[in-house]
Amino acid sequence: MRDARYPVTMAGDVPVVVAPEEIDITNAAGLSATLLDLAAQGHAAVVIDMTKTQFCDTAGLQVLVGAHRRGLADGHEVRAAISGGSVSRILAITGIDRVIPQFTSVEDAVSAPVSGLGDHRRGS
Amino acid sequence: MEGRLRDIQSITDAQMSELDDQEFLVELLERLKAILQADTAAVLLLDFRSGQLIATAASGLEEEVRQGVRIPVGRGFAGRIAVEQKPVILDHVDHTTVLNPILWQKGIRSMIGVPLLAGGRVLGVLHIGSLTPRQFTGRDATLLQLAADRAAMVVQSTQSRADRMAVTALQRSLIPSALPTVAGAELAARYVPGSGIVGGDWYDVFTLPSGELGLVMGDVAGSGLPAAVIMGRMRSALRAYALETRDPAEVLDKLDRKMQHFEPDAMATVLYAVADPGLERIRVSLAGHFPPIVACPGEAAKPADIATGMLIGLAPDARRHTTTLNLAPGTLLCFFTDGLIERPGELIDEGLARLCQAVAAAPAETACARVMGAVIGREAARDDIALLMLRRRPSGDDHA
Repeated sequence: MRDARYPVTMAGDVPVVVAPEEIDITNAAGLSATLLDLAAQGHAAVVIDMTKTQFCDTAGLQVLVGAHRRGLADGHEVRAAISGGSVSRILAITGIDRVIPQFTSVEDAVSAPVSGLGDHRRGS
Repeated sequence: MEGRLRDIQSITDAQMSELDDQEFLVELLERLKAILQADTAAVLLLDFRSGQLIATAASGLEEEVRQGVRIPVGRGFAGRIAVEQKPVILDHVDHTTVLNPILWQKGIRSMIGVPLLAGGRVLGVLHIGSLTPRQFTGRDATLLQLAADRAAMVVQSTQSRADRMAVTALQRSLIPSALPTVAGAELAARYVPGSGIVGGDWYDVFTLPSGELGLVMGDVAGSGLPAAVIMGRMRSALRAYALETRDPAEVLDKLDRKMQHFEPDAMATVLYAVADPGLERIRVSLAGHFPPIVACPGEAAKPADIATGMLIGLAPDARRHTTTLNLAPGTLLCFFTDGLIERPGELIDEGLARLCQAVAAAPAETACARVMGAVIGREAARDDIALLMLRRRPSGDDHA
């Protein structure tokens, strides 16, 4: 079920989900539900707007990884828009930056061609 | 209606709080049966792992519980209530409306059921049946929902109490009660569960048949019993791979493959390191985990320069690297989980810097106490914290 706390806007054919400033165990399930709901709708890409996100703990990382895996299974690409700071740091430490394409703005994330970054059938 | 409301009060009276979960539900069902002049009553509770409703308590329908009836969410009468999350009235009971043959074989003609809800989440379903045809009303549904809300409260508090006890017991059994004694090494550790919800942090230290020392630091995503169970499985699997494989990166790759196959939804960060006997060298591999902080005598502590590796459960066939660190006598390594450095409203690098400042090449136990004092102080940590210090004894320090 979609959670009203995480607004979804459409940028052309690409849905953009705005992630909260802090993602942790208290809100991870709601964000995850919103993303999985979008996954079922057959878009080529889904963008998670984390440009306002300052804090993302393990529960938050699990949301990203879950959405990414679902995307691999369903044939769409999950992308993250990240402005820097702690989020890009933690994605580098965990290796998530090697499977989820990252962009510095929502616009870039929306307009990018499908990268195949997370598709391991094409090597990584 | 007022009389019936009074009746429902009897369901919440004090003597019922003395009963255990099962007795409470049976007593509740018996009272409901009497109030509604019905013939059968049953509660099915949701098993989250299987997505099935399991018959847990019954009155006039005891065989449901004895036969362990299971109804998938979304199917049949009970399954429909769980999905719709609202009362359902059934005037016609047969195999087209009800999945469980016990109900129509029993001769139940009319049924009404309501969800057990807590915080918007379905915990189970309560249903009442009549052997004679009758029209259950909206008033019946309101009354039943009141009783179900009360039941949901009791069930939830029992479940969370049972979960908490199980998690604590698991944690206790999985965190080493004593660290091994190793010639030339000092070890010290802390484990502090987060406030409220216990997560899946763990550490492990063991000697290997080669005389080497294995060190593990890990953090399973999630919380409560599910995370603790995954943590226990990862800990055992890692120990098994450590016995047959010398290279830490290969141990983590095997662990990852095992987890992705058997626990495809699990995600964890893990560090595995193997120290030579005598601690001249340590080989470290990372699966999405923070590198240890290194403190050489007389130098400022800093994160070890170690290749990052993908976390467990991220991508099939991920390959990790092993980095070898040479440890001068007196060098201290500080292994930790993210709870120690991550704070809302603060950059990770600020947390890391604070930790580096607190770490010094002191005896392991002293270093542990100093870090906990400086980084945690008096505030309760939101997340779990695990901390493990390993120090190579300074030359000439012969204390065992």
